[in-house]
Amino acid sequence: MSLRSNLKLLAFSAILIAVFAAPVSAETPLHERIDSALSSDDPQFEKQAAAPADDATFLRRITLDLTGSIPAAEKVRAFVADSSTDKRVQEIDRLLASPEYARRMQYVFDTMLMERHPDKHVPAKDWRNYLRHSFRDNRHWDDLVQEMLTVDGTDEKTRPAAKFLLDRELKAEQVTRDLGRLFLGRDLQCAQCHDHPNVNDYLQRHYHGLNAFLSRSYLFRDPKTKKTSIGEKAEGQVAFTSVFTKEEVKTAPRVLDLPEIHDPEIPEEPYKIKPAKNVRSIPVYSRRLQLADAITSTENQAFQNNIVNRLWAQMMGRGLVEPLDMWHSDNPPTHPEILKLLTAGLQEQDYDLRYLIRELALTQTYQRSSHRKEGPKSTDEPDYRVGLLKALSPEQLAWSMMQATGVRERTLAGLISKKMKDDPKNGSKITAEPLWQEEAVHDALWRNVDSFTVTFGSVGAQSSRFDASANQALFLLNGPLIQSWLVPGGNNLTARLKKLESDTEVAKELYLAVFSRFPEESETNQVVEFLKASQLETHQGIPELVWAALASDEFRFNH
Amino acid sequence: MQRNQGCQQLDHQVARRQFLAGAAGGALAFSLSGSPVVAEQVHGQHKRILQVYLQGGVSQLESWDPKPGTEYGGPFRAIPTSVPGMHISELLPYTAQRMHHLSIVRSINLKTNDHKQGRLFMEKGRRAGEYPYVGSIASKYLAPAKAELPGYIHISTRGLSDSTSAFLGARHAQLKFIGVNPPKNLSLPKGLAQTAATRRMELRQQFNKQFETGRPKAMTETFDASFQQAEKLMARKTFFEKAPADKDLERYGKHDFGRNCLLARTLLENNATCVKVTHHGYDSHAENFNFHLEQLGEFDKTFSMLLDDLHERGMLESTLVMVYSEFGRTPKINVRYGRDHWGSAWSMALGGCGIQSGAIIGKTNDKGTAVEDREVDAGHLFHTYLQALGIDSTEDHEIAGRSVPIGDPAAQSIKELLA
Repeated sequence: MSLRSNLKLLAFSAILIAVFAAPVSAETPLHERIDSALSSDDPQFEKQAAAPADDATFLRRITLDLTGSIPAAEKVRAFVADSSTDKRVQEIDRLLASPEYARRMQYVFDTMLMERHPDKHVPAKDWRNYLRHSFRDNRHWDDLVQEMLTVDGTDEKTRPAAKFLLDRELKAEQVTRDLGRLFLGRDLQCAQCHDHPNVNDYLQRHYHGLNAFLSRSYLFRDPKTKKTSIGEKAEGQVAFTSVFTKEEVKTAPRVLDLPEIHDPEIPEEPYKIKPAKNVRSIPVYSRRLQLADAITSTENQAFQNNIVNRLWAQMMGRGLVEPLDMWHSDNPPTHPEILKLLTAGLQEQDYDLRYLIRELALTQTYQRSSHRKEGPKSTDEPDYRVGLLKALSPEQLAWSMMQATGVRERTLAGLISKKMKDDPKNGSKITAEPLWQEEAVHDALWRNVDSFTVTFGSVGAQSSRFDASANQALFLLNGPLIQSWLVPGGNNLTARLKKLESDTEVAKELYLAVFSRFPEESETNQVVEFLKASQLETHQGIPELVWAALASDEFRFNH
Repeated sequence: MQRNQGCQQLDHQVARRQFLAGAAGGALAFSLSGSPVVAEQVHGQHKRILQVYLQGGVSQLESWDPKPGTEYGGPFRAIPTSVPGMHISELLPYTAQRMHHLSIVRSINLKTNDHKQGRLFMEKGRRAGEYPYVGSIASKYLAPAKAELPGYIHISTRGLSDSTSAFLGARHAQLKFIGVNPPKNLSLPKGLAQTAATRRMELRQQFNKQFETGRPKAMTETFDASFQQAEKLMARKTFFEKAPADKDLERYGKHDFGRNCLLARTLLENNATCVKVTHHGYDSHAENFNFHLEQLGEFDKTFSMLLDDLHERGMLESTLVMVYSEFGRTPKINVRYGRDHWGSAWSMALGGCGIQSGAIIGKTNDKGTAVEDREVDAGHLFHTYLQALGIDSTEDHEIAGRSVPIGDPAAQSIKELLA
């Protein structure tokens, strides 16, 4: 293990010690308070709640959620065999400190903030690197949002952060709507032209109040560098009329129902840089620069609620408010007290997302089995008595398949031996670095991930609903990529299975590699039966066996 | 003013409960429930859509709204049609004989000259935002529960890829065919025998059975349904492999558009719900007249044969036919004898299911530079398509706890066009 990760682990242990060594009178950890809040009002809760997931299921779930892939087979063996009592906590901390965690968060936040729209001005690669490095350094959420909303794109160092505004081309309808949806949990789109027809809480002034922060800003294309950045004028009000009433109303910048932010008196010379042909103007007073402060202000409850709700949905499979961007009084959170706990926790920790994710992962709620106990009432209501299924994202699906079939391992081995040959002096030291390994494997295999994203991802708003199309099934059934992973070669899964002596061993190895658990007896028998039947023909049984497992429900979902 | 558009508290709670019952979705999209209006529709005859999209922006002056002998009219004449008093461009002689099946809207003003914005507006009935296309809405509300084909199939020869289904979900997104080529991955992988393929699918089911015990079904059922749809498509591979009959090719034309329209006919005959055929190449910034002579020549005969076939098979009454673009072309002829983008006064044709035939809606002024009467935009057209199909476009999509008006509440249908 690298020096760097050692240091991180040390830091984590220090936190852990601090928490555990604290006097009993100190507040109970957040995860325990969440669990008791869920069960406190209901004497039936404990009776009906599903048992904790077993170790193998827990490991698969947490590895998928924190690193974006299923665990390796040998990791499952080791984890199940480990007898230490705090092994789940240790594993959570180990994963949170891994380079794969930063990659996973890169995917999650890229999809959340850019919604798979094609590139406009800032290359996706730069933006993704920016996100990944930010999560590697555990930059806090308010800090990130501040940066994304204040940069103008002229400084190369911070230009990637400007993607949020630049790639939406500063178009009022898109930026305003997405500010509302992605940072405040409110889709104000219908309030653009009139007060929302269905949602009484969404008013036209909310939409235009947000819009007013940006109404003076414009895209500026530098004639020399051809690069686009953001300029701003010193004047411009926001007025709007309803398509239904035709009455004109004016608003200053404001976030939802928080007070309006009025412009200071216009100085004699309102510009730092005056507008002119081919000149990017900069006013003395910038409305746009007020936006980030106003949004991340502690007064602004919506900002905190939104990120807490999104992380809860990410980990638990469903938001406390669903859809994630339809926060209003007719659609209140299912568990307001949990929301309050989480929001307070996040504020105390200064918007530290890693802290919040860690606390969520430590709850019994997160660690519950997704198997319903016999008997108790059905889980029509989101009461978290039973773990929910979460469909793997396109990226999770791709990396998990490459993990299961041995493509990842095989590729990494090849990269390491090449590096050793190219750099015999430092090769072994460099290639031992987890960070080097993660980036090397990613660079080698991202095209595969991309073809999953094209097939399984969709442009636009996300939802925790699951959907599947014929195209996707055809990709799994007949697509050449997955077929190529099933051809026995080197030390990949099908090759390894073919070398095994008995069909019982094949079953065990298959289950560990693909389902990340040991098979039950009936399952072993099923595999043995299948191999017997298929071997009557040519020896095709093993690739088919692996395919059926990869295409199964158990593999498709995080459960 | 607060506008409460048919969404009282109670409705909202219902929507919310439905979502909760669906445990993170799936269930809703899986059945055809959603709103009572919809349940009613499914009992009637299966209604369908044929969309013919003239990509790039067909010139209204060279098609549905000719102005011969005027300043901007261009060189072509207007000819009488099978509807007394209705004249269209002489570039559409076959279509002219069939205008008693169609109507024309001559007063479209989209207020945009941008290809993408125009296209999205025409498909979604909204200027902006994440809304489903007409085809995805048809797939959701009109496709029978046991449909043999995906609900929305788009036959095109180019790679424009739109996200079409928005919150209606992936199963209602367009399945795109590149010309008459089958969808990707339709054939079994090389070296995999049919028996082996069947066996591995059975094994997949066995794996699933164990997993599903004690777990909610909505998501796994959705996943399984995608495999069933894929297998149905694979079983219909012959649609793509069978060469069209010589007689048909003779009538439709041996070009891509002819072949694509023949495939569209086959799909509609086999109960596809929405089939869209794109005829590319109407963006005639130069040589507008030669261009339209050629392009519309191809369109005219092929489209007429397809219309005849639908009529003869008794399908026209249940099939909404739309011939549309993202905008029209400038009356003013530019220095390269071209016409440029013009979203503010142009036309489309529609007919079939639920549409009054032989009508002309609205008009442009003498020079064709502006709408003079009955101005409409894509929001009005959108309500009209859906109401022609019997879908109440003033209702809401009830999706996962969210009520979204199907059509833009600020627009209405063109009532006089509805049969």
